[in-house]
Amino acid sequence: MKNIRSGITFGIIGGLLTFLFGGWSVAVIGSLMGVGLGMGLSGKLERKNPLEIAKSVLPTALVAGAILVLLSLYQNNFVQEAIGKRPAVEKIVINANLIAFLGTVLFTTLLASLHGLPEKQEQRWKMILLGLLIIAFPFVDKLTALRWTAQIIFALIFVILGLGLNIVVGYAGLLDLGYAAFFAIGAYTTGILSSPQHGIFMNFWLVIWIAAGMAAIWGFMLGAPTLPLRGDYLAIVTLGFGEIVPVLFKNLIDVTIKEPLTCWILPGLFKLFGAKTTMACITLIEHEDLTAGEKGISPIGRPVIPFINYEFQSSNPIPWYFLIIAIILLSVFIIRRLRDSRLGRAWMAIREDELAAAQMGINPVRTKLAAFAMGATFSGFAGAFYASYIAGIFPSVFDFSASIIILCVVILGGIGNINGVIVGGLVIMTADRLFLPALKDFLASLLTHTVLPSISDPVMQLAVKDNANPILYRFLLFGLTLVIMMAVRPEGLLPNAQVRAELHPDETPVVEAETPKTNKAKKG
Amino acid sequence: METTRKKFNLRRFAIATLVLYIVFLIGPIVGLDVPAVYASIKSNPLQLVQFLIIGISNGAIIAIIALGYTMVYGIIELINFAHGDVYMIGVFTSLTVLSLTGTLESKDPAKIVFGLILALIVAIVFCAVLNATIERLAYRRLRNAPRLAPLISAIGMSFIIENIGLMWAAQAWLVPSFGTTGGASQKSFPDMLGILFTSLGWDVNLLASTGIALRLTIKDVMVIVLAVVLMVGLYLFVQRTRLGKAMRATAQNRDAAKMLGIDIDWVITATFLIGGGLAGAAGLMAGLYNNTAWWFMGFRAGLQSFTAAVLGGIGNIAGGMLGGFLIGLLASFSDGYLNARWTNALVFATLVLILLFRPTGLLGEQTGQKA
Repeated sequence: MKNIRSGITFGIIGGLLTFLFGGWSVAVIGSLMGVGLGMGLSGKLERKNPLEIAKSVLPTALVAGAILVLLSLYQNNFVQEAIGKRPAVEKIVINANLIAFLGTVLFTTLLASLHGLPEKQEQRWKMILLGLLIIAFPFVDKLTALRWTAQIIFALIFVILGLGLNIVVGYAGLLDLGYAAFFAIGAYTTGILSSPQHGIFMNFWLVIWIAAGMAAIWGFMLGAPTLPLRGDYLAIVTLGFGEIVPVLFKNLIDVTIKEPLTCWILPGLFKLFGAKTTMACITLIEHEDLTAGEKGISPIGRPVIPFINYEFQSSNPIPWYFLIIAIILLSVFIIRRLRDSRLGRAWMAIREDELAAAQMGINPVRTKLAAFAMGATFSGFAGAFYASYIAGIFPSVFDFSASIIILCVVILGGIGNINGVIVGGLVIMTADRLFLPALKDFLASLLTHTVLPSISDPVMQLAVKDNANPILYRFLLFGLTLVIMMAVRPEGLLPNAQVRAELHPDETPVVEAETPKTNKAKKG
Repeated sequence: METTRKKFNLRRFAIATLVLYIVFLIGPIVGLDVPAVYASIKSNPLQLVQFLIIGISNGAIIAIIALGYTMVYGIIELINFAHGDVYMIGVFTSLTVLSLTGTLESKDPAKIVFGLILALIVAIVFCAVLNATIERLAYRRLRNAPRLAPLISAIGMSFIIENIGLMWAAQAWLVPSFGTTGGASQKSFPDMLGILFTSLGWDVNLLASTGIALRLTIKDVMVIVLAVVLMVGLYLFVQRTRLGKAMRATAQNRDAAKMLGIDIDWVITATFLIGGGLAGAAGLMAGLYNNTAWWFMGFRAGLQSFTAAVLGGIGNIAGGMLGGFLIGLLASFSDGYLNARWTNALVFATLVLILLFRPTGLLGEQTGQKA
């Protein structure tokens, strides 16, 4: 019964999503929903024979699929007319809904029934299935002309950023509110080293490593002064650095560096004693436009695959998609190894109790600096990819709100949990990039065909029209995410068991019993 | 002993020399051109006084906002991130009241005075209630949570309030002077005090008749006087009244205060009410003084006043005032002699330096394991 309820919830959410996108979207949404539902259900079920599990979840899957298809048909026949669009061609509707229904039922039962296999096999098969889905997604997207891939790439960039911040906030417990600074440093390194701005055109595959290294060096340098600080003072100081770095990039447009000894100090001394000199002033750099200020650096070089000489194009997101998937896989691999290493355990010890950890022989200075540097490295990757993908960078992208969006990703997904951060990044950024614009279009056309004609006062009409723009409320969305998550579920959607136990000290035994085994294995 | 001390000093000296060298090396990028600044001061010393006046007036506003930070931090050890944005809401509230009462278009002195007083009262009440509501919604249930939880919640609140300001600034049907450019652009806040004085037939610049080439306007005087009145009032309130005593007791030891029968929830709510009211008053003052209203102005003001609170010693009311004036002067001199675009960075650098070298601030006492 409980399962059927979650089936209904999934079906309604998926169905409402089809209201916004229409057309073929129902097929993709149905399949993704099936995967989500199957994954969700498999955690709750007992380990039985796969066939029996499949039988037991089949009603849920059927209910979810049926609700989805019903809502989608309602959308096509009634909602489309209400917002002034023609319903889609019947052939597409039938095919899309059929695929959606089958996809939901198939994926739900398949993923849930995998739970019947032994744990290792279950993990492996899930990985294979997910991998196939990830590979298939951009092609399906292209076939169905939804154009989601380009937006998903942004979500994936924020997944990498979230993974990096997770090292600092989640593992080492240092709240960094200026993380976008390292993103900026990575992006600007790429911009300076592969653009006409300075006439340097380095290979992307080299630049991405330089960007990561540069970000790591700056993570080290900006982390060093904050070492004595804790808690909210640390947060404020990192926020300060996060503010200063974009300001620097915005204003480094006329750089003149004079060697102080010959230009200032010695002439000053001579002047003080009344002597006259004709000392040559050594000027290191004169009137150099380093970052092009508000105009931003563009165009920035794109990656070229060696040997076959294929250059990535902005019109075709599929190669970019696979590139960023590869970067994420690499990052997840490195971060997992780091987490389980001596250093990773030292980070968690520092997070739990710095004093005790220091007494046990952990060097807090080195450990914290390593956390800042490693965390920054991944945003260096993300920055290099971002700069190359957008082919232009502007200082306003990297301000405080970017840091907070990344923090939102980590908090929503679950502090300290890699899978959680990936889910959090996908949820937040697809909501921001796909859902809100679609909702805006939907509301706009809905209002023009329903409410607006009945308002006679032109001022009020304009006010209603302007205010029904959800993109205006995106900061509200991020703010609400933080406040609500802190109030309701501070451990995030997919919590790290340790963090969760810490946040709910009174219900520790219950948590222990509830935590599924897979989670523990992941936690390491 | 002697040798180690000597070695230590040498190292410090080397680091200081290196830092000075780097400052002089990198300094010119940010416009720190010492000879040019020296020449400018020498050729026009009155300008220094002018920047001093501007700095003190802006510092008064910063100090009033800083009081809100310092009181809240003193009592629940939380950086109320949303406080700067409450101040921004204060600016918009007073602008809206002035617009709704028709004060913006009027030339009648009595009506302007009435409108301004009404705007002050409404802004104070609205911001006080808003600040207390924030505490009730976002902080109260996290009072015993790990320390980062309320801070993250506060950041979220700050985002929400900023967004409310963004929406507010787009409502041209409410305040016609917002125009149709959307909420993101800076809005103008009419110079009501200037209009008031011109309509009375007085000169806005109080020094106009003396022949000194300085501008000390009625706005400067109003801001400074109002700030001093509010600060003295707050100081007396905290030192003399029963509620003030309860606040100090709660700040010292919450559990002990509770045992002595102090209603902690009410004391904290009262603190937020007072802080919010001060922010509302600062909002009207800043609007009248700087003549702009912008949805993002709370962020900069908030960080400057937080720096002021830390500089003075967080939790210390007199320190908050002192810090406010100092930061105001710093910002004003940086605007004048360096470059306005570096002012924020400079304020931040100050904050970092204080936190690193004197985390208790200028007037603060030892606050234990906070920094």
